[in-house]
Amino acid sequence: MEPVRYVDLLNQRYRQQGFPPYDWTINAETPFCPPTRPLEDCRVSMLTSGGVAHCSVTPWNPTAKNDFRLDEIEPATPGTDFTVNDSYYDTADASVDVNCVFPVDRLRELAADGVIGSIAPRLWSGFMGRIYSRTRVVDEAAPALVEELRNDEVDLFLLVPA
Amino acid sequence: MGLVARVVEAAGIPTALVSTGRDLTAQVLPPRSLFVNAPMGNHFGEPGAPEQQRRILTAALELPWTVDRPGAIVDWPEPWHENFTDKVRSTLLAM
Repeated sequence: MEPVRYVDLLNQRYRQQGFPPYDWTINAETPFCPPTRPLEDCRVSMLTSGGVAHCSVTPWNPTAKNDFRLDEIEPATPGTDFTVNDSYYDTADASVDVNCVFPVDRLRELAADGVIGSIAPRLWSGFMGRIYSRTRVVDEAAPALVEELRNDEVDLFLLVPA
Repeated sequence: MGLVARVVEAAGIPTALVSTGRDLTAQVLPPRSLFVNAPMGNHFGEPGAPEQQRRILTAALELPWTVDRPGAIVDWPEPWHENFTDKVRSTLLAM
C-alpha cells in the first residue's frame, strides 16, 4: 500500500479542532555525523514520543499541549511494566507489547548477544505530540537532552516518533 | 522528533530514526531514517512477534553503517498484513 499521507490528515485534524494551519518544518539539508566505532562497540540509548510511561509514574496525558515532560527509563525495566497513552495513534498493540513502539526487551537481547556494545544507563520517553514551540525544542529541550546523552557517553541514539 | 534527531546529530552523536510517517519524515529530514510502512505505534511490527521486532530494530541500529547519504530514508521491505489507511484516518479525525 501507498504510505499514509499524514500531512494531509493532520492538516484536516487541526482544522477540525479549530487550530490555525500548522506551520510544518521543511528542511532541505540535515546534519550528518558518521559513527567512529562499530555497532558492537556502541553504547545505545533510545527515545520514544509514543506516550510510554513506567507503571509507577503518572501516565502521559494525550491531550496536554506543549508538554515538555521527559521521563528517564531504567533500561532493565521489563516491557510489561509500562503504560501507553497517546491520541495520535491506536495504542492497542503497544499496550499489549510495548516493544512495538519502545523495544526495550529487544534492546537488552541485542546487548546480551553482542550486536550492540551496551545500553546506556538511561532510555527516554518524551517530546509527545502537541508541542507547538519549535524554538523551545531546538534551542532548549533538545540541547538539554544532548547534555544528558553526553553524560551517559551515548554513541548511538535511536528515535521512535509516534 | 526529527528536530531532536537533528540537534543530537549536530552535537556529534549519530542518530537513527524509525518512521511510520514517510511524508512527515521527508519534510523534517532527520539525518537517517528507516521507514516502516505499518500503523503508527507498530514501528517494530506486531505485538508478541519478537523476531520481527528484533529484525526491524537491528536494521534501524545499523543505519549509520549502511547509509552514507545525509537525510536518507530507507524503506523496510516487509509489508503490513492489511491496508490500514482508513484506520489511521478514523484515529486522527475522531473528535
